[in-house]
Amino acid sequence: MKLEQDQIKKLGLGLMVLVALLYCYFTYLLGPLEQNERNQASGISTLEPQIADAKTQMAATAALEKAAPAATAFLANVKNSIPDGAPIAWFPPKIADFFKSHGIDKCTTHLVSEEADAMPGFKRIVWAVDVPRVEYVSLGKAICSLENEEPLLKILSVSIDATREDAQYQHATLTVSTLVKS
Amino acid sequence: MPLHVNLYHEIQRQELARQRDPLRLGMLAVLVIAIGFVVNYFIVMERGHSVAVRYNTLNDEWTELQPKATAAKSRQDELNSEIAASAAMMQSVESRLLWAPVLDEILKTVPRTVQLTHLSAEAPSNDKATNSTLSVSGLSSAVEPRKEAENLRMAMGASLGKKFKHVASVFKSLDDSDQYVMLDGRRLPTASFTIDFDVQVRDAASDPAAPAAAATRRVKEGAAE
Repeated sequence: MKLEQDQIKKLGLGLMVLVALLYCYFTYLLGPLEQNERNQASGISTLEPQIADAKTQMAATAALEKAAPAATAFLANVKNSIPDGAPIAWFPPKIADFFKSHGIDKCTTHLVSEEADAMPGFKRIVWAVDVPRVEYVSLGKAICSLENEEPLLKILSVSIDATREDAQYQHATLTVSTLVKS
Repeated sequence: MPLHVNLYHEIQRQELARQRDPLRLGMLAVLVIAIGFVVNYFIVMERGHSVAVRYNTLNDEWTELQPKATAAKSRQDELNSEIAASAAMMQSVESRLLWAPVLDEILKTVPRTVQLTHLSAEAPSNDKATNSTLSVSGLSSAVEPRKEAENLRMAMGASLGKKFKHVASVFKSLDDSDQYVMLDGRRLPTASFTIDFDVQVRDAASDPAAPAAAATRRVKEGAAE
């Protein structure tokens, strides 16, 4: 079949229109649609792990929240066991009462120093406890009770000297440190 | 055989030519392609719509979850900090050097032939220090008072050695005294002495932060179970 000149022109024009239509179709219709879809698919691939992480984080925190009271009970008890107020006001009488309850009537406690503790919210205070007249065995029992009943108290040094007046009694000096709320 | 003359051959030829017109065929092909593109457009649009719906759902969920997750993270940090602090506190309490057992050992070890006149002991100066010092002074009385003092040093070293990892002892002084004492009806010479003990009360490698980290790990593992 042989095309006539007019038909060739029409075909050429038709091809040009077709190309223009294809261009418009892919550029202005399908292109933005697919670009939008790609953006949203990319957003989905970003959001899915984030949501999964968030759910994991919330589950882990909830589990930790359940387990934490048992793990932090010791710290809570310790905090509750520390009296409020200035330590100089309550610690010396507390020690005097303690030794008195163990049959050691005379005991004096002096503040030596205080420093910040490594644990936030606490400071460590060093005291000198002087017991001028005590039997060795009574002192040992009192120290044993003190160490068991006062977990925050550390005995830094012990010094026991025989008294010249009565060989049965000793003069003891304890240097102790205790944690208090800062 | 009758003669058959087709008088419409010209019309049929024109009709055939019209049907085979390339322009018409081209237009039909373009129409089919256009319909295909339209169908494809709607398919892509529908697919995009479902993606958009999924994206919007996830975005809404993320918007709702994000503040909760942030709060959960900060709460987790807070709890971990509390757990670590609690473990560190417990470690601090458990790592104390308890003096009552030490005094008890000394009481059991000192024989009646020895009178201690002075006893001083110091705990390790800080959390990283491992050694503690103990010093005893006194008077030993026996036929051989120096030997009695040496026996005391050996006995105390052995006694403390049961409780602690390493004990080193040394006489700081050991002198014959011009005093005599009456013991069991016998007049015995005396010697004054001072013995220093160096006691390793904890391991050098212990890391004060390790128990806190271990406790946090234990709690996390417990929570995971």
